[in-house]
Amino acid sequence: MSTENSPPPVAADPTMRRVLACFGLILAVLGLVVAVSLNNLNRTVATSDWVNHTHALITELDVLQPTLAAAEGGLSRYLLTADQRDHTAYQDKFAELGEHTDVAIALTAGTPAEQQQFQQIALLLAKRADVASRIIHFKKAGDTAALQQLLNEDAEKYDHRELAQLIEKFRSAQTDLLSARDRTLYLQAQTTRWTVLTGLGLDFLLLCGAAWLIRDALAARTLANRLLQQTNAQLEEKVNQRTAELSASNAQLAAQSLEDRWSKQALEHQNRYNLLIIDSIADAVFVVTKLLNVSRLNPAAIHLTGLEPVELIDKPLARVLALEGGKDPAKPNFDPLARTLAEGHELRDKAGLLTTKGGQSVPVRLSFYPLRDRDKVVGGVVILQHSAPAHP
Amino acid sequence: MSNTTRPPFVPAHTLPTPGSSRKHILAIDDELPILELLQEYLKAQNYRVSTATNAHEAKRVVEAEAPDLIITDLQLEDTDGLQLIEQLRIMLPKTPVILLTGVLFDPHVVEDNLKWKISSYISKTAPLQSLVDEIRRHIGR
Repeated sequence: MSTENSPPPVAADPTMRRVLACFGLILAVLGLVVAVSLNNLNRTVATSDWVNHTHALITELDVLQPTLAAAEGGLSRYLLTADQRDHTAYQDKFAELGEHTDVAIALTAGTPAEQQQFQQIALLLAKRADVASRIIHFKKAGDTAALQQLLNEDAEKYDHRELAQLIEKFRSAQTDLLSARDRTLYLQAQTTRWTVLTGLGLDFLLLCGAAWLIRDALAARTLANRLLQQTNAQLEEKVNQRTAELSASNAQLAAQSLEDRWSKQALEHQNRYNLLIIDSIADAVFVVTKLLNVSRLNPAAIHLTGLEPVELIDKPLARVLALEGGKDPAKPNFDPLARTLAEGHELRDKAGLLTTKGGQSVPVRLSFYPLRDRDKVVGGVVILQHSAPAHP
Repeated sequence: MSNTTRPPFVPAHTLPTPGSSRKHILAIDDELPILELLQEYLKAQNYRVSTATNAHEAKRVVEAEAPDLIITDLQLEDTDGLQLIEQLRIMLPKTPVILLTGVLFDPHVVEDNLKWKISSYISKTAPLQSLVDEIRRHIGR
């Protein structure tokens, strides 16, 4: 579920797209550098192998003439001394010459031009070995004439400079090739070095470009982060302030609740106490309204009249009480209590007649006091005392 | 007027934790709801409150730890509040006593007849805050 505040996808952010493109270029440059370097390494390895091969061939060429000279020297000593040790020495040298020749043939086997060129050298060496073999044969056979003839012929035909020229020419060609390979190796090393350096430089520039591209985004993010922190701090302050206000309000409400409960308790206590005072009076007490209807009475009044409160409350007091001698036949509707109440006067210790539930008239002494709420009469209180009979 | 049904969280008389730095008040009334309200309100004002419903319990509290101030009703289960005040005055002559009662006195009567016995007179119809104000006037916070 997306919301308006959710961040845009990475692919839709132009800055991120440019940064990703930069990193892609960096990776491509690194790949190119690796490929070029690996190729150069392979070529260097191949060139190095060839250089080693050429060095080995030159080494073999260099030992051919000395070995041949040593072998022919040993042969000459054997012809002069006929000593078996000289014979062995000459044989060893020719064997060594054969080994060098075989190695050189093997080294030139991969290159037909070199193989053909060395073939001439090998042929001359083989001829020298054959002449030596024939000399030994005549020597061992004791055929001095044939031996002398062979030696003379060989002295006339054999020119050691021919072999030396062939070897030198071949060696010179190999040395030139070696120089060319060395230059190639150097160029390859330089190419590798510059490739790596150029790649690193390009990557560094691309990284700088990426950093330049995201600098605005980074600055914006830093600013947004700072604003967010400020907003959070303000929000936290407001929350703390609001929490404190709520705590204070709660405390105030709790105190107010206790005050309300206290007021209610005090009012109930006061009412109960007031009732207790009135109910504790032994005289009958009637509280009446301005229309002289009974609004309240105490237990003594209930006892005196024999009536239940429900039979008296909201009923005219005249139903149960009349002032003795208060009725004027000329004015049947005249009520002295009503007039007293209207005038706000008091009546004290007046004779009256109370009508009980059974219809019996009981003489009472009556006092009447108007109830004043500030300066206004709102009702009255009638107190009755059972009148002692004047004449038992 | 005594109420013998006591809620479990308000014992007949409660003793404060000794060693507390809060001021100690002894409230005496024979009506447990009144004691509950007083205790709750005064605790919220950071006072320690002990309660007693009669003179006997009040004396036990005083003997256990002398209060800094005494609040008492006029009507108690086993004695008259003014008589209890006289007895407590002997035990704690310097401790202020507030008479908190629903019996309405004429202020002149209080001024003339009761000023030697009590430190203040508060009607139960007055707000609780006025009682706290009077307590603070006598013993501070």
